[in-house]
Amino acid sequence: MTAGGPILVIDTATTHAVIALGDPDGSPRAVRSWVAGYRHGEELLPRIEALLADEGVARTALGGLVVGTGPGAFTGLRVGIATAKGLAHALRLPIVRVATAEALLDAAGGGSLVLMQPAGSSDTVVSRAGEPSKIVAGGDAPDLRPGDALVAVDLDGRAPIAAVEAGARAHGGLAASLLRAGAARLAAGDVDDLATLVPEYVTLPRGVRVAVPDAGVELTGGRTVP
Amino acid sequence: MSGSLVLAIESSCDETGIALVEDGRRIRSNVVASQVALHAPTGGIVPEVAARAHLRWIVPVLDEALDAAGVTVSDVDAVAVTSGPGLAGSLLVGINFAKAIAWAHGKPLVGVNHLEGHLYASWLLDPGEDASEAPVFPLIGLVVSGGHTFLVEMTDHLSYRLLGTTLDDAAGEAFDKVGRLLGLGYPGGPAISAAAERATARDRVFPRAWMGDSYDLSFSGLKTAARRIIAEARADEGLPVDDRDGPLPAGVVAELAWGFQDAVVDVLATKALRAAEETNARGIVIGGGVASNVALRARIRSAARSQGIRVTIPRPGLCTDNGAMIGAAGARRFAAGERAGLDLDARPTWPLATSPARVGH
Ligand SMILES: [Zn+2]
Repeated sequence: MTAGGPILVIDTATTHAVIALGDPDGSPRAVRSWVAGYRHGEELLPRIEALLADEGVARTALGGLVVGTGPGAFTGLRVGIATAKGLAHALRLPIVRVATAEALLDAAGGGSLVLMQPAGSSDTVVSRAGEPSKIVAGGDAPDLRPGDALVAVDLDGRAPIAAVEAGARAHGGLAASLLRAGAARLAAGDVDDLATLVPEYVTLPRGVRVAVPDAGVELTGGRTVP
Repeated sequence: MSGSLVLAIESSCDETGIALVEDGRRIRSNVVASQVALHAPTGGIVPEVAARAHLRWIVPVLDEALDAAGVTVSDVDAVAVTSGPGLAGSLLVGINFAKAIAWAHGKPLVGVNHLEGHLYASWLLDPGEDASEAPVFPLIGLVVSGGHTFLVEMTDHLSYRLLGTTLDDAAGEAFDKVGRLLGLGYPGGPAISAAAERATARDRVFPRAWMGDSYDLSFSGLKTAARRIIAEARADEGLPVDDRDGPLPAGVVAELAWGFQDAVVDVLATKALRAAEETNARGIVIGGGVASNVALRARIRSAARSQGIRVTIPRPGLCTDNGAMIGAAGARRFAAGERAGLDLDARPTWPLATSPARVGH
């Protein structure tokens, strides 16, 4: 890693994957977004390689990594976070996690915003700035407060058109928003622990209790068994 | 392959395994984070929980494996990773982590079929273990686990001809199911094996599905029969149908466990031996979680000895999923010139016999 080197941003929580390179002060240099659907795995690393090549940045020159942790599509988040972990480990990069929902709300502008994202084929995840995301079952509308505006991402046809349009605008600003939040934390040395970093967890299938991944896992074969 | 050092990553199911393997045989380190206890309360694997645990444990497991081997990623010649078959979400964690590690370090990447990993576990040598002779071709490979049960013929490295496969459940699934019916908990394999050891009378007979002359297997009928036999045993003991209303006496559980295990072992061992005989195989290798079953190991060993066939079965810790077996198979693929691109993706269903390994050459 190069102290003060460019920052790489990865977010695969939505059906439109986002990668970006930014300067240490948080200003974007280049942003790429593509329709990943639910197949982020084939394209993410080749796209990162191409982005660095286009910008003339050697992978060893990177200075930090910002990863969006959702909530969002399981498949995308696994691909994005596994890739980010591999890169951070190999290149010894400091890593910062930013909740994709927080970044989208930030990108959507101020005011009393309610973000809706899909959770499976019928439920939605509802997020407000500074509050934990919640699952809303089936076709139920989220509880709205007076003055609330809806922002819907990945809900074309399942949310009001104005909300879907607001969602598209917010998604357009996702990379810049992740970069802003991540760069500030990297600059302050407020980085996350690479080992324990996992996706935001609100979209477990119905009926499955939330398992704590630290419990019930046994490590064997090394010289020390924690 | 000579002198090659492979970093191997396995995450296809519920074990996060990372190993360093030298020359395709010698284990330098082999670290496994097992989620068995994590999934015990649900009596089976919840895919979302498994994938998340892989993400949580993959970095500590890598660090531990590198530490234990006393190497860094710069020292390795290739990175091998399980790219299928398995749970899509679990596979994606290992694959994308491996791709990022390989790309960032400028190392070649090799995708490995998890099932050939189970076969190649028979080539592994523990650190410090005396170098034994490697399995000899042609050989019969038997993979028996919670997800797979099949027989293949290998005439050379990376060459697989499918002889027969289960038409319904894997043998390991039957063990889990019957373990639950007997109140022995999850996973059923080790519990049934331990209970069967304690059986005093060994006369309970469970049905065998021979599937005619074929090498195919079937365990769903055995599962159904087990349910009926266990219900009859409960009635004989004057117990209500539901085992929550009173467990069977331990002695009866032991006898039933023995009878069930004997049926599974009888079919697997008989078919493996017959396959070896009919293909003039010189050896048999066995892998997968059920290969750690003591009765199965003993039965196949003793039957093969009388026929002059060499049997190789890894120690139990190498029968269950681990990174070292992927390293052993990955080293062969690497030596054969195989390379995966950065677009390597999960193949949740990837039958070994149609894998791009040089089938039928
Ligand atoms: Zn396996």
